Amino acid sequence: MAVAAEYEWSTRFQEENDRNEELSAHGKFFTCSYLLDMETKKILIRTHSGKIDTINVDPGPLDHYQFAIRASADTWRKFAMPTPPPMYHGIWAASFQGDMKLEGDLLVLMQNLRCLTAQLEILRVVGAPV
Amino acid sequence: MPKAKFSPVTGRYVTIEVEGDEYKVFYLENGSGQPIVCQHTAGCHNHQWRGLLEDEEFTQNYRVIAYDLPRHGKSDPPLNQEWWKEEYKLTADFYTKFIVTLCDALELENPIFMGSSFGGNVALQLALYYPDRFDAVIPVEAADHSPGFYLDWWQHPHANAAQVCASGVWDLMAPQSPDKDRWATWFYYSQGSEAFKGDLYFYSVDHDLRGKLDQIQGDKVKVVMLTGDYDYLTTPEDGRRTASQIKNAEFIEMVGIGHFPMSENHELFRNYLKEALDIISAANKAKA
Repeated sequence: MAVAAEYEWSTRFQEENDRNEELSAHGKFFTCSYLLDMETKKILIRTHSGKIDTINVDPGPLDHYQFAIRASADTWRKFAMPTPPPMYHGIWAASFQGDMKLEGDLLVLMQNLRCLTAQLEILRVVGAPV
Repeated sequence: MPKAKFSPVTGRYVTIEVEGDEYKVFYLENGSGQPIVCQHTAGCHNHQWRGLLEDEEFTQNYRVIAYDLPRHGKSDPPLNQEWWKEEYKLTADFYTKFIVTLCDALELENPIFMGSSFGGNVALQLALYYPDRFDAVIPVEAADHSPGFYLDWWQHPHANAAQVCASGVWDLMAPQSPDKDRWATWFYYSQGSEAFKGDLYFYSVDHDLRGKLDQIQGDKVKVVMLTGDYDYLTTPEDGRRTASQIKNAEFIEMVGIGHFPMSENHELFRNYLKEALDIISAANKAKA
């Protein structure tokens, strides 16, 4: 993905996130950072009080995040379809039945599970960047 | 006068004794005919059956009864025990005894038992251990064995247990199921976190019928299994494998639906349920 396309994807993701009604209503304490490892691309998302703080495409080796969600590019492409096929329709489904791995501080993931789920479903609107 | 619309569904309590423990059990019911006894999923309550309870096509031929298992919904923990001094862990032995005792208390003749998830697994247990008490069972989203969900996350004190339980099961539903029904199911799950883990002790640990399915007398108690293709815990492959080892059992894969079919999308589920009930009726006619 070219730099311009990455910028466009990040901008769209942020716009969809920041105008998401559920996140606006329930995201007051949704503050965390996590890595989406998509095999051919890595995305570091930092969220503060439900709004996107930064989206860092292909972060450096010392960039910090609290947990990571790793899967193949193929899994993320299916995950990001408007209606994902069975077993690609969420991080639990893809972890139990597919190649997705949840790593790092999973307590932070669980503490933010409701809003994180809503945030990841934005991929169904903007698509996967891989 | 304000406009009001009354539901034909009625609720009632019945107090029963199981293994010396006293339970005041709440149940909803509507309809007349052969009883269909409906079990909700782990950590939930009987509103999951709200669509079926008001579906006239079923209630004109069947008496639909949906109860709350003790510690769920409006059925309290045992009245005569200091239950708060023990960790709750549901066992197959207690669970089946409770259901049979409830059916006896309601004087149900020839009931069909239907449950989803841990209710589907107990349907298999009932078919194995109480084949004379039930006409048929419909295990929904069930399998001989369903490990992996007895997790400490459901009660971790540093996380919001209500939200972890409710959002932890979100992916068990199909994304195309109606938003209002998925969110109603989410809402029910936010109410039941305290019992969820103990329920899952049965679901993922105590329930294990591997190597025993051929002992189910499928000629006596008809088994019709239903599994949605979006169920990542008990997949259609799990359901198909389980049914294939039970005498006379049938398996139906439900397309475009998940682990809470009656609650996440009754309008779709009802078609598969009709098919299951038709199979049971045909089996009974053949037996007669």
